[in-house]
Amino acid sequence: MNFDFFRVLSYWDVLLNGLGITLLFTVSAVIIGTLLGFIISLMRVSPFRVLKWPARLYVEFFRGTPMLIQLFWIFFCLPLVIGRDIPPYVSVLLAMVLFMAAITSETFRGSLKSISGEQHDACVALGLNFRVKAINVIFPQALLRSIPPLMSNNVALFKESALISSVGIADLMFVSSNISSSTARPVEFLTAAAIIYFVVAFPATRLVDLVEKRLLLRFT
Amino acid sequence: MNMVDNINKQQEEETAKYQGAEDNSPLIEFKGVTKRFGDTCVMDEMDLKMKAGDRLVIIGPSGSGKSTLLRVLMGLEKIDKGEIFFGSNPYITVDRKGRTRTDMSVRSKIGMVFQHYTLFPHLSVMSNLTLSPVKVRGMARSEAEDRAREYLARLGMEDKLYSYPGKLSGGQKQRVAIARALMLEPKLMLFDEVTSALDPEMVAEIEKVMLDLAKQKMAMMIVTHDMYFAKKIATESVFIAGGKVIEKCDPEIMFNEPKQERTRDFLDKVLHLK
Repeated sequence: MNFDFFRVLSYWDVLLNGLGITLLFTVSAVIIGTLLGFIISLMRVSPFRVLKWPARLYVEFFRGTPMLIQLFWIFFCLPLVIGRDIPPYVSVLLAMVLFMAAITSETFRGSLKSISGEQHDACVALGLNFRVKAINVIFPQALLRSIPPLMSNNVALFKESALISSVGIADLMFVSSNISSSTARPVEFLTAAAIIYFVVAFPATRLVDLVEKRLLLRFT
Repeated sequence: MNMVDNINKQQEEETAKYQGAEDNSPLIEFKGVTKRFGDTCVMDEMDLKMKAGDRLVIIGPSGSGKSTLLRVLMGLEKIDKGEIFFGSNPYITVDRKGRTRTDMSVRSKIGMVFQHYTLFPHLSVMSNLTLSPVKVRGMARSEAEDRAREYLARLGMEDKLYSYPGKLSGGQKQRVAIARALMLEPKLMLFDEVTSALDPEMVAEIEKVMLDLAKQKMAMMIVTHDMYFAKKIATESVFIAGGKVIEKCDPEIMFNEPKQERTRDFLDKVLHLK
């Protein structure tokens, strides 16, 4: 069989647009999902059941179901349930944000729990009130500890985002799949898509390692 | 006279004020304080007094309630019964529903240094020292930084102002922890086994700092396993076992001819006389 990888070059702008859409959804979901995840993590560590339990239910549900089901449910079922149309881009972004927030909240919760009791004792001994303790002592340490796993989550979301092609969003996966069908050259275009995903994800994973080492070096 | 000398002078005056002109009224008084962890009673109706300017060393076997006593006094643990006075003011009490009530204005007069330093690892030495004075006490940042510089210079740490705790040795961390507590001008300092995690050379370093503080008449309550240091620094000593004060006396008596059999047994064991 003859492979013609040079055919990929004639579609580079289309693939690049697809990558742009993938990155746009990923970055938007990372930003909104991380902020939401932080709020959810605070609800989960709160002493109030009225905050704790809904947050727990939400996190367990989104961590315990496949992202594809979540995406389909929000894309196809949610409009029927609420009786209103939801633009496809909004549905997809919502699904990605909710998924990201669930896993991010667990990362933050783990980091918050990992702050030793002695740090809390020191805050009491220094007379720090709740606000100063949270803003100046606990949150910064928890955030620093969260950075490496958060970055790993982001890379995972970037790769998972290929699922949004299944509901017709023209991301990298969608366009490469379409071109491969229309040109009957799946090997060339799906390989090219895989390489593009790898070229973006691999340096990001290296960056995670680097940041982790830097943080360890500075603070331990 | 520099800023730290001024502070020390003020502390001595405050200490004298709490102590009273010539009477021996206590700075701290525990009255029937009980503290339980589940079924285990770690402080059993404990009575204890400490005068202002005293350096009270607390000794006793592991699990006897020494550290809990300090943690209760710092407001880190609730109590089940009894009350604690600071000067003539009730400081920690238990209300009718069994809840511990703490007078926060009194708590701010007490500083504590822990065994494991408990510095904030994400903040520089300077920020560790200035955080509470600036954010809680409302001190001007420049004033707090000047004071931090003076304390650190006095403790031989002026070159570590902007270092992070992770880059310091154990002894240096503990000196920073002491300076951080002193920044708040406490009337009473609590030291909870502050040399236990250090190697011998660093132990000497920290003990020197504490002896210097002792010269400045700083009231201190010290929990330690180092009996030689205890004897050197104490003006009063107390032996605790099973959550009770077994013996409280002058350190000369405690370490040379303790009255109680239990104290004698303990000291014989730890001083390897048996």
